[in-house]
Amino acid sequence: MRATIGRSSRAIGAAAAAVALLLAGCTAGSSTPEGAAADGSSVSVAMTTPTWILPISQPGKTGGENDIFGQALYPSVFSYDLGGEDEYNLDHEHSVAESVEVSEDGLTYTTALKDLEWSDGTPISARDVEFWFNLIAANKADWASYTEGGFPDNVESFDVIDDTTFSITTTEVYSPGWYIGNQLNSLTPMPQHAWDKTSDEGEVGDLDRDPDTAQDVFDYLVSAAEDPASYATDDLWSTVSGPWTLESFTPGGEVVLAANEKYTGADAAELSQVVFQPFTDDTSQFNLLRSGGIDYGYIPPNALDQQEIIEQNGYTVEPWDGWSITYVALNFANPESGPLFEQKYLRQAMQQLIDQESISEVVWNDAASPTCGPVPQEPGAAGTSEGCAYGFDPEAATTLLEDNGWDVVPDGASTCVNPGTGEGQCGEGIEEGRELAFTMTSQSGSTAGSRMMAEIQSQFSQAGIGLEIKEVPDSVAVSQVCEEGEECSWDMSFFGSQGSWYYPVYASGERLFATDAPVNLGSYSDETADELIDATRFSSDPEALQEYNDYLAEDLPVLWMPNPVNKVSAFSEDLTGISPQDPMLRMYPQDWTRG
Amino acid sequence: MFFENRLAAVGLLLIVGLVAFSFLGPLLHPTDQVHTDLANAYAAPGVEGYALGTDGVGYDQLGRLMFGGQTSLIVGLAAGLLATAFGTLWGATAGFVGGWVDAVMMRVVDALLSIPALFLFMLIATIITPTVPMLVLTIAAFAWLNPARMIRGDSIALRSRDFIVAMRGMGGGSLRAVRTHVVRNAIGTVIVNATFQIADAILYVAYLSFLGLGVPPPAANWGGMLSSGLSEIYSSHWWLVYPPGILIILLVLSFNFVGDGLRDAFEVRLRKR
Repeated sequence: MRATIGRSSRAIGAAAAAVALLLAGCTAGSSTPEGAAADGSSVSVAMTTPTWILPISQPGKTGGENDIFGQALYPSVFSYDLGGEDEYNLDHEHSVAESVEVSEDGLTYTTALKDLEWSDGTPISARDVEFWFNLIAANKADWASYTEGGFPDNVESFDVIDDTTFSITTTEVYSPGWYIGNQLNSLTPMPQHAWDKTSDEGEVGDLDRDPDTAQDVFDYLVSAAEDPASYATDDLWSTVSGPWTLESFTPGGEVVLAANEKYTGADAAELSQVVFQPFTDDTSQFNLLRSGGIDYGYIPPNALDQQEIIEQNGYTVEPWDGWSITYVALNFANPESGPLFEQKYLRQAMQQLIDQESISEVVWNDAASPTCGPVPQEPGAAGTSEGCAYGFDPEAATTLLEDNGWDVVPDGASTCVNPGTGEGQCGEGIEEGRELAFTMTSQSGSTAGSRMMAEIQSQFSQAGIGLEIKEVPDSVAVSQVCEEGEECSWDMSFFGSQGSWYYPVYASGERLFATDAPVNLGSYSDETADELIDATRFSSDPEALQEYNDYLAEDLPVLWMPNPVNKVSAFSEDLTGISPQDPMLRMYPQDWTRG
Repeated sequence: MFFENRLAAVGLLLIVGLVAFSFLGPLLHPTDQVHTDLANAYAAPGVEGYALGTDGVGYDQLGRLMFGGQTSLIVGLAAGLLATAFGTLWGATAGFVGGWVDAVMMRVVDALLSIPALFLFMLIATIITPTVPMLVLTIAAFAWLNPARMIRGDSIALRSRDFIVAMRGMGGGSLRAVRTHVVRNAIGTVIVNATFQIADAILYVAYLSFLGLGVPPPAANWGGMLSSGLSEIYSSHWWLVYPPGILIILLVLSFNFVGDGLRDAFEVRLRKR
């Protein structure tokens, strides 16, 4: 099997995305960097201030803005394009890799790098990728993408074959699509010749090849990366491999990227400068957008009826669809509510009380579409729940509860009147008189999110299911997996005002719905689901993903919710190259041009 | 005297009107403020029988203003009165007893005053799911500080007055002095302060709700409605923005007018001769 990452013929469109914000445009009065090889123009983009620069992600530093910022300076070995025709969805334009080849036995992935140079003139080599690998291998517990048994645990060996070729041999035979898309996606060359040291004045050596000293190097780099204020002045970060260099990083959070004059790749920046501007909230960003003060911004969901005015002001408005799903997590580990959630009929009834289509249309102003299962629909696909296992059907929900031993009291509290585990009974662990009442932890700060919760609360009440909505800030909205011996009191949790989960290329569920998976927040566990998830990792059968989706769509490990677009982007009409925006939330400003 | 102050009279009338609107209005204009109705979301005023339109999830806006007014008034009145009552007792006791008791009690007040109340409200509201009683207690817990300082001043002035000295000389206790003489003689200050406390409490409810930390739906209050409506500021849904904002202004102004009127009525020096 061989996939060549050749030059793509598709237009430079690239994309964008980010858990934060967007936008671009000419910033009046902004200066053009002296000597820039690009066209002298500048574009302003609304985006949360990045807080991480090192191409080894850390817990708490995985926001989309950090990925966009990092990719501009240190592009990864593989980039992906869901809309492309490549066998493994590889993005020819933006990858550092020239090609990847999978051995006949399926164990070895051999990658050839493009002929590129660091900004200081040193060639980018396989040694630079090995440097990255050695650091995460020696510090995997501190790497945000690490899961036990995953990369790099599933790597038998990493071998540098020549200056621009390396191979990775796996411990088992995996599905190549899954391995390239979901395991090798973090591989990033780092300048070994500049960073392989333990202090600013330290001597550069092969310290990464000894696990002990590799930890020291890692600690040094992480320590430097923890100080965003120094990013633009610290020599460490002046050696870059991407089409951009960091020009300034102001205390106010504004980040200015300048075109990398030394960049040797094919996707060199057309613009001279990109300015990432942070905003405290949607309203302040939207005010500036309405006044034409920013080139690339977004329209909040509740202001979508302003689209026409924004377009009249010279903007192109385009939804930024994500490769994502949105859901409410149910806490199966809660000793109180867990036994209720274990009952599939109850999960089904609750799902039938969620009017995904109406919520998408009214609350999200059509900027959302129903989620029907764990594998996302095609990004941008028209959203209906026609294909969902359970559509909105309050009467069926009520009947289902009554058929399973519940006395349904609309606008009251439905109670179990027929306890037991037999047919027509409430189920294991549910005593007589038990009421249906839950607390939903939800994100504050999203008008659409609050309205959606009000609608669901209203529908639930008509089946006698009490729902108390507790809104909390984003930082605590994501409820944690309950550890044994710890208090485990949350019932339901929603954190999807911009989508709950964004997948890498391969929308498999090993991180979400497998037993003990790191983001399996509600501790859902199902033997069949585990087998199907394993099949998506090890089998090349394209049906494996479909079977996994169909089973979980029906088994409801969570409640499926309307999946909002990441943003509704608005960018200056004279900017080209932004569309299509990347559903995996990357942004490639080097593709943008003016005029 | 009070009714000679026209603004105070207008304020009182407005308060009566707003109370009637909130508590008697639903009897004349019954609406469903529990169940959403997405099919009728954003109906314009006058359309489909909605006199003031509907909001983003289909609640009748006029009915919701009545419903929300109940929360704003109940929390504002209860928190304002509770804060005034507690602050009065605290300040009167501290001022009358004096000495180290006064020092300790007022340092407690100073310490609490140094903490930004809104920050604490937000912290508490984040930890605990807001309910009406919780909002009352939370707001009252920090709103009593100013009345306490004010009444302490009155109390210090009163404790050396002849009638109190005489009462104590005849064996009267401190508790009796505070209850019977200090508080009663400071009643003007207390009442005037109470009206401002109520106005402040109503604003605090609005602040918290505006920040998304008010009583969760389906409950409503004017601050929360204003916050939600502001997200429609660029849309044509004016009925979601102006009515709750205007009602908050009217209610707070009314209590302030009444407070000014009462202050003038109690203040002998301001009376016309």
